Amino acid sequence: MGDSKQSRTFDAIVIGSGMSGGWAAKEFCEKGLKTLVLERGRNVVQPKDFTTTNMMPWEFKHRGEIPYEIQKENPVVSRCYAFREDAEQFFVKDKEHPYIQDKPFDWIRGYQVGGKSIMWARQTQRWSDFDFEGPARDGYAVDWPIRYKDIAPWYSYVEKFAGISGNKDGLPNLPDGEFLPPLDLSCVENYFKDFVAKNYKDRNVIYGRCAHLTQPKQIHFEQGRSQCQNRSLCQRGCPFGGYFNANSTTIPWAEKTGNMTLRPFSVVHSIIYDDEKGKAVGVHVIDANTKESIEYYAPVIFVNAGAYNSNLILLNSKSKRFPNGLGNDNGILGKYAAFHNYRASIHAKYDGFQDTKSEGGRRPTSAYMPRFRNLYKQETDFLRGYALTFYAGRWSYNDQSGFGEDLKNNLLKEPTLGPWSVGSGMMGETIPKETNFLSLDTEKKDDWGVPLLKINIDYDDNDEKMIKDFFEQMTEMYTKAGFTDIKTNDSKQAPGLDIHHMGGVRMGKDPKTSLLNKWHQFHNCPNVFVTDGACMTSTSTQNPSLTFMAMTARAANYAVEQLKKREI
Amino acid sequence: MDRRSSIKTLLLLSAGTALLPSCLQEEKKASVTVKNFKISGNEEDIISAVSDTIIPQGKTPGAKDVGAYQFALMMMDDCYSPEDQQKFMKGLKEFDDFSKKKINQSFAKATPAKREEVLKSIESKKDIPENAAFFYNNMKRLTLEAFTQSKYYLTQVHVYQLVPGKFYGCVPVKKAS
Repeated sequence: MGDSKQSRTFDAIVIGSGMSGGWAAKEFCEKGLKTLVLERGRNVVQPKDFTTTNMMPWEFKHRGEIPYEIQKENPVVSRCYAFREDAEQFFVKDKEHPYIQDKPFDWIRGYQVGGKSIMWARQTQRWSDFDFEGPARDGYAVDWPIRYKDIAPWYSYVEKFAGISGNKDGLPNLPDGEFLPPLDLSCVENYFKDFVAKNYKDRNVIYGRCAHLTQPKQIHFEQGRSQCQNRSLCQRGCPFGGYFNANSTTIPWAEKTGNMTLRPFSVVHSIIYDDEKGKAVGVHVIDANTKESIEYYAPVIFVNAGAYNSNLILLNSKSKRFPNGLGNDNGILGKYAAFHNYRASIHAKYDGFQDTKSEGGRRPTSAYMPRFRNLYKQETDFLRGYALTFYAGRWSYNDQSGFGEDLKNNLLKEPTLGPWSVGSGMMGETIPKETNFLSLDTEKKDDWGVPLLKINIDYDDNDEKMIKDFFEQMTEMYTKAGFTDIKTNDSKQAPGLDIHHMGGVRMGKDPKTSLLNKWHQFHNCPNVFVTDGACMTSTSTQNPSLTFMAMTARAANYAVEQLKKREI
Repeated sequence: MDRRSSIKTLLLLSAGTALLPSCLQEEKKASVTVKNFKISGNEEDIISAVSDTIIPQGKTPGAKDVGAYQFALMMMDDCYSPEDQQKFMKGLKEFDDFSKKKINQSFAKATPAKREEVLKSIESKKDIPENAAFFYNNMKRLTLEAFTQSKYYLTQVHVYQLVPGKFYGCVPVKKAS
């Protein structure tokens, strides 16, 4: 067979092997489809390629710090909190993969099998109809073509496999899921939870649901995973498989079927559209190492390259039928991009509960407060709202003043327990707008001949008002709860550092104002599906990965049915 | 223990070889290599002495046993900007000038008691040249980092748990006995 066209033809092609691509691969392979999974970076096989995972602090040459030269050459990724010596190998360096910032945008990326699912923050909150109905109710973006009832069974489906730790909280705005047991909240987190419940109607502090195996089930053992050990070294990849990443779950599951062909070092240049057949027929790949140009074929193509790279591929997929990018009859491909506003945080002290503390493991999650602003009705001068984290813990420290024997003796003493410190970070919904868009540079190309992506995304007045409200509301709640020494902080960070890149290929009911239908198919090219962040019509406030996973599993199963019926 | 005595032997050996160039009245060469700035053997001696005075050896390991000054120089070389490196080296000179004024001796040549006298003045933060303060503050920060992030400290003083297991959210603080 060799290099025949037949050998390069599959039942399905999945572009990307991360958070969502892994799910497409798993679903297709389980259903018996010969599936080609294309990944632009290297393969990362667990546990052998989690090379730093068992290293002790003193084994890192710079004790975690990234050297000055690397930071200087890569200012964008250096701003990411997880870009440290222990996880450096999983982040894209700006210098190696340039893009154009028409406005400042920190495009944090992970080019390897597993993508960013290795280093993600693992928070997994479901959407509700308060989120899906947002655009229609408040008159922005376009109406989502799906509702909670469409996605709910798929949330359950992915949660059971991934393993989600959570508490059944019974909140209408943050539906319960298939939960493994929660971990403890700290004393002051429980205190604040009770305080908020008592003093604020419709405001709740809950345990932040997260993708950790607090009590693995049979399905997780079958994946070769075991219980989370509260190491909080997740960004290195986990030797226990204690949290969800594609490398420990979906990808090996797909591989086990014998139906997956995983091709690392495969830069997707574009999707091939056959003008005669009137459909997409395959993808054009550039081998990352040899720069060789190769075409692969399949009747169905899933685009899961990571939101803005999916936009890039689609904008670059030009044909006679689609001269402006695949499916782009209405000219909105790349537009209505959005993100989460992570600029605002607040910190304080609490003098209560001096006789208690937390101990043992390093808990990999915190408490969480779902959106309460504008939930039942519009009540502020800005649209939508924000969710937030809530953390309360006690640091212990050794007196480091002075020098000599005194200093040394202090360092050798039992550490002193500090006061409770509390803090919250805002996760604000941003409003997708036509003026926040992605496009391709007409001249500059990368080393593989792919045009550079231009990012033109900024905050707006709604975001500024939301930050102000967050500071006001949180200061009020913190003050009433008796917290002291309250300090607010606006990091002024650029969009993108939230790493919740969304939009550009939005779903909708109307082909005139959207690109994808309710099954994530292009309205006008139904054998191409987009199920990563690019498909998002609006962003709401929840950490989005769980929703991408559920959407992908749902769309992949639909695609299999349609293939069987020969509808695509 | 074996490791520590072998470190000591190593230090004795390097001190021995270091004697030779100083006999020839030439600038002593540094035993460590840095890429981004220049450092002489005499300057290295000052840095080493500062680090050893911040966390001295004694019945228990100190800065010397965890290679603190070598770590500090490596961090200065790899993780600081060229401007900060310049400031650090300028500060080193200012620091030693301050020492000469205070105790009529280069810091490296002084007795432990005299060295402590210099650091006491520096820590008082009164009339200390800006760069000298920068030099000292960073030496202290990096010496502390080398010590508290060392294998010794994290296995024998405050044990670092790579796999800590169960998290207890709310437990009573045990009263010191």
